[in-house]
Amino acid sequence: MRVRRVIAFACVGAAVAVTAATASAHVDRAHTTTVTFWDAYSAGGGEVKTLESVVIPGFEKTHPGIVVKDVTIPYNDLHQKLITGVAGGQLPDLVRSDIIWVPELANLGVLAPLDKAMPDFKKYASRVFPGPLATNYWRGHYYGLPLDTNTRIFNYNPAALSAIGASGPPRTFAQLVSLSAQAKAKGYDLYAESGTSCWNVCPWIWSNGGTITNSTYTKATGYLNGPKSVAAIQMLVDLYKAGEMPGIIINSNAGLGTYDGINQNKYVGTLDGPWMDAIFSAAYPKTQITGSLVPAGPGGSVSVVGGEDIVMTSASKNKSAALTFLRYMLGYGTQAQMALAGQMPVLKSSAKWLTRVHPYYATYVKQLATARPRTPTPKWTQIDQVITTDVAKAFQGSESAQQALTDAAQQIDGLLK
Amino acid sequence: MSALRPRFRTTNVRRRKEVTAAYLFLAPGFLLFALVILYPIARAFQISLYNWSLVPGQASRFLGLHNYNRAIHDPIFWRALENTGFYMAVTVPGQIILGLAAAVLLDAWLPGRGLFRTLFYIPVVTSWVVVSLLFQYLFITDGGLINWIIHDNLHVVGHNIDWLGSRWTAMLALSILGIWKGVGWAMVIFLAALQGVPVELKEAAAVDGAKAWARFRAVSLSAIRPVIAFVTVMLVIGSFNVFISVFLMTQGGPLDETQVILTYMYRWAFSYLDFGYGSALSFILTLIVFVFAVGQLRLFRRPSEARS
Repeated sequence: MRVRRVIAFACVGAAVAVTAATASAHVDRAHTTTVTFWDAYSAGGGEVKTLESVVIPGFEKTHPGIVVKDVTIPYNDLHQKLITGVAGGQLPDLVRSDIIWVPELANLGVLAPLDKAMPDFKKYASRVFPGPLATNYWRGHYYGLPLDTNTRIFNYNPAALSAIGASGPPRTFAQLVSLSAQAKAKGYDLYAESGTSCWNVCPWIWSNGGTITNSTYTKATGYLNGPKSVAAIQMLVDLYKAGEMPGIIINSNAGLGTYDGINQNKYVGTLDGPWMDAIFSAAYPKTQITGSLVPAGPGGSVSVVGGEDIVMTSASKNKSAALTFLRYMLGYGTQAQMALAGQMPVLKSSAKWLTRVHPYYATYVKQLATARPRTPTPKWTQIDQVITTDVAKAFQGSESAQQALTDAAQQIDGLLK
Repeated sequence: MSALRPRFRTTNVRRRKEVTAAYLFLAPGFLLFALVILYPIARAFQISLYNWSLVPGQASRFLGLHNYNRAIHDPIFWRALENTGFYMAVTVPGQIILGLAAAVLLDAWLPGRGLFRTLFYIPVVTSWVVVSLLFQYLFITDGGLINWIIHDNLHVVGHNIDWLGSRWTAMLALSILGIWKGVGWAMVIFLAALQGVPVELKEAAAVDGAKAWARFRAVSLSAIRPVIAFVTVMLVIGSFNVFISVFLMTQGGPLDETQVILTYMYRWAFSYLDFGYGSALSFILTLIVFVFAVGQLRLFRRPSEARS
């Protein structure tokens, strides 16, 4: 009898406990807002780990009632997933978007203009580098804020540089040309480049004083095929035709990739971003690389801005919570945490402390001061394909640099309308 | 006359029931076919007539046949069509001849026949992504295995061939991959058909003095004619759908020299978000494949079937 009473008490107690727990869970859930965040942080490095084990838990701890659901998608799939999401009307609250997709998404009408939706937008905009901020601008509004940034510098193997008898990396166009000939004599290519897209060739055009379009991004003729732009491409074509640049610039299957080539003492250096140091040293721990600014031409040393912006979708049902997380991502602490994982911060103030996180950031910070964004237009993918194809024709020899860039400029004019 | 009428009515009712039952049995299959084949085709055709807006609720601008006109005047589309045609012209006969040869060898008594059958079939079940990347490595200009053999070791050529750097050598490399990957499939189908050829017919031909080649041509080849037709139709359709190998090995480059219809369609639809033009390209491809399939079925029809 006593045993039965104990069992009955235990059962009632358990039932009460379960009910209470369920009820409290219901209460918690009812007061929780979930912010969905799509990103393409690298799962292989420390980026996803930092986001999921440091940044998001830190946010959720300091912002009770907001839960962040992070969805990490490989970079190559994120664009297609976004397009599928647009077509299906199923987009997240926030997206970490490649800077070149922002005008495209804004033009589709699926992004909320942050300068209208975020009351303190100006405060945050004033804290970030102007180059990366400009990548969020489309038709009179800013549709996002920069989240992380990068640019390309001349990364090289100092041992290979010594082997060709150079006292230092090429600082100017003239040095690039003379050292390329010197490298060839020793069996090296001084500079290896893996394509002819704007990412690859624009630093040379800009450094030579050329441009892709006019300042309002409405015309390419007279700019992309202007004398300074043509001269920059001609310099590279001349190096290629003299056998001083590897064929991978127009055909990725023509030889070793840039990293393999540097490791195997075929290439001295390449232009690449801040991720190169971590990837290269992990793959080839015995080969050392270091960086210098893009060789300067008459227009200075100008590189190209890369990176990601954080944007909020217009369909977000949790805009207030989403903006809270967006602000958190642009906070000093979060930017510093992500810097440790290899993401270059966008805060102007980071220039002071970034080199303490990783010494190799120093050259990138310096290069970012003059780096430029690619043309902010929804047709950028198409424009970049035109540049890739036509510049390759100049390398292939089927057209002169002038003719190739004139053809490209005419096509781009049509796409900018 | 009146005695015949009830019997006629019974037959008629039974026939109607049979027809109804047949339609009922067909209905689920037809519904599935309509859902996954007919609807997407109709939808693709509809999209191809518009400047299609991706965003639900946003109006799309009607363009009529403008996207088809664009395709006709687009030189890269014609190049992609030529490349697809080249791929078909090389891979379809290649797979049929080699698949049939392998099937004939394996149909005869050979030691380790099961092992060879498996070995031939392994490429068929291997991932396209894996083998495309593998072939890309084989055909790399500087450091690739093919150039290492023919240039560095055999000295057949004086310099490394830029296999994937020019149009026809790249198309050849892609076609070699297509043949290697598909021979096993053709072999299995042909082998099954050859094993169904009556031995008596072959023996009768031998008694009549027919030699091995004549026996194969007059008896075996004739008996498996419908299977050859099936394999040809399937391979032609498959060759028009070449995508993964091109996408991974050359990305349609350099200079769009190795674009095929599907990689070009993919670029317009998913990179440039011009779904109207992308759909027009895919609809043109559908029409071409349909015409080819009907043409081949007519070509392979036996003279007696053609008369009837």
